Amino acid sequence: MIAIENLIVQFGGVRPIDCLTAQLSAPVSGLIGPNGAGKTTLLNVLSGFVRPIEGKVAVKGQALLDLSPLQRVRAGLRRSFQTEQVVEDLTVVGNLKAIADHVLPNNERAESVSAALDFVRLRAVAATMGSSLNLFQRRLVELGKCVVGTPKLILLDEPAAGLSNEESGVLRELILRIPGEYGAQVLVIDHDVDLIRAMCTETLVLDYGRMLALGPTDEVLASPDVRRAYLGEF
Amino acid sequence: MVSPMTASFPATAAARTLSGQILAIPMTVAIFSGAIALFANSFWLSAATSAIALSLSVAGLAILYGQLGLVSLCQFALVGVGGWVTLRVGHAFHPPFEVSLLAGGIVAAVVGLAFGLPALRLRGLYLALVTLMLAGAFQIIISAWGFPDGGSGFLGRADGAGRAMLSRPSIAGEAIPYFLYVNVFAALGLMIAQWHKLARPGRAWALIRKGETVAISAGVPVLVYKAWAFALSGFLAGIAGALLAGNVGQLDGRAFTSFESLNLFALAVVGGVYNWYGALIAGLLLRAIPALLTDLGIDGYVTIGIFGLALFQALATAPSGVAGQISGLLNRLRAHLGKSGAE
Ligand SMILES: Nc1ncnc2c1ncn2[C@@H]1O[C@H](COP(=O)(O)OP(=O)(O)OP(=O)(O)O)[C@@H](O)[C@H]1O
Ligand SMILES: [Mg+2]
Repeated sequence: MIAIENLIVQFGGVRPIDCLTAQLSAPVSGLIGPNGAGKTTLLNVLSGFVRPIEGKVAVKGQALLDLSPLQRVRAGLRRSFQTEQVVEDLTVVGNLKAIADHVLPNNERAESVSAALDFVRLRAVAATMGSSLNLFQRRLVELGKCVVGTPKLILLDEPAAGLSNEESGVLRELILRIPGEYGAQVLVIDHDVDLIRAMCTETLVLDYGRMLALGPTDEVLASPDVRRAYLGEF
Repeated sequence: MVSPMTASFPATAAARTLSGQILAIPMTVAIFSGAIALFANSFWLSAATSAIALSLSVAGLAILYGQLGLVSLCQFALVGVGGWVTLRVGHAFHPPFEVSLLAGGIVAAVVGLAFGLPALRLRGLYLALVTLMLAGAFQIIISAWGFPDGGSGFLGRADGAGRAMLSRPSIAGEAIPYFLYVNVFAALGLMIAQWHKLARPGRAWALIRKGETVAISAGVPVLVYKAWAFALSGFLAGIAGALLAGNVGQLDGRAFTSFESLNLFALAVVGGVYNWYGALIAGLLLRAIPALLTDLGIDGYVTIGIFGLALFQALATAPSGVAGQISGLLNRLRAHLGKSGAE
């Protein structure tokens, strides 16, 4: 459960997040909104790369903003980036090991990497260099990195961007299995409303840094406010 | 300038094991040093000895530049620090050579780290400028102090009469044994560097190269791994300085100009910072070309122009250097053999 209270982020004169109060408790929650709505900024606040000027955030009862970004990772926070960040000159396994190195004791790393490799079904390309992977495989590596160790909260920034329908279907199935298999809560940003509908029982809609709607995904997507903000987008 | 982030990385080598990739180093060095020891005369043997020693300092640069994209222009100053400490410890306490050598490496690591500290948050041109100024500062200090040559006091200067040479390790007193001795340490140093690249530190560096936010999101303590790269690079430079000091028994303060640090960086890029043997190639170019020119009776300053052209050529057409081109060739060969073998 993520509890956000009165959150304000300010960059110079703009407020990409403005007095946001919201509670997310679904196993897989969606975060949508038009371009520039503040979605990535909210993820950056949760992962510690952006400091809000005001507000509180608690995850499973633990105050998040006191922790450094590294402490958050060690406590089980994982995130992926809007543009995938697979390292080209490491193998798939190397990319997974790179995170296992820092979040697990020595004797648990190999097992966790192996499990993650199977989870995202990349064993066949385990020894392939990142530079030789296609976009779908890269997105899978990014997801795999999120389940290395003991993830508690996984933040995915447009994990299916650029994928075909079939590919994002596979990704969706994997993401849906995460809460059951890893016990982690997932927050997904995506512009693909159908994907969000199929994956998230609960969705938060941001617009100009403010909460436009929050609730069961179907209700939220049907609301006139949301349809207006998204006019032309679906 | 071509940034190492966008340079083409060797895309294969995936299936080869870690130990296999590391063991290639002593094997190559053994074959190479055996050939030189058999055929070289004393002039070329001495040049080859300092070439191999210098390649260790290039390996340090290759870590900073190839792994982290950090341009350090004070590497030759760190070679000087290692040499100074080795001579100082050697003349003061007469320990086994290895002790002086290790002291040189460790102090150079600490100084390298100290040089790197202000730079931990700098990169690109600013880091290059700061390190170049440090190299300039070292140049001023060392030309005033000179290197210890058996005198008394902290600076250990004998001034004129009574100058002493540092004795070589007892097992490697003659030129050929000392050349082989240097090769053993070079192989060890290159193996340490290569292990770092292929194991946990290399993975952390790879993530840092991708972006500090990306690295932190994977749990990498970025400053620790950057500092470690500076210290390791300084250590390798210090060992190089120690081995140089052992070669002739003394060092000349006038040889440690900031210009040498620039040369070292240029040659590191020409040799190739993404493959371990790039450092060997760079070391050889650095010493073989001036030796060749001396042999032919041409002014050594011509090397500056030659190195400049080589750097330009590398940056324009082969950002992974001579070693990268060799590696590409080997990969094509391997793929070809693999294909014909499968038929
Ligand atoms: N570091 C920054 N400095 C200044 N302004 C920023 C910074 N990061 C984001 N912004 C601004 O904050 C606003 C929200 O950006 P954000 O990236 O959070 O949007 P988003 O909802 O993720 O959009 P998109 O769907 O395009 O990814 C934008 O107006 C953006 O220009
Ligand atoms: Mg975004």
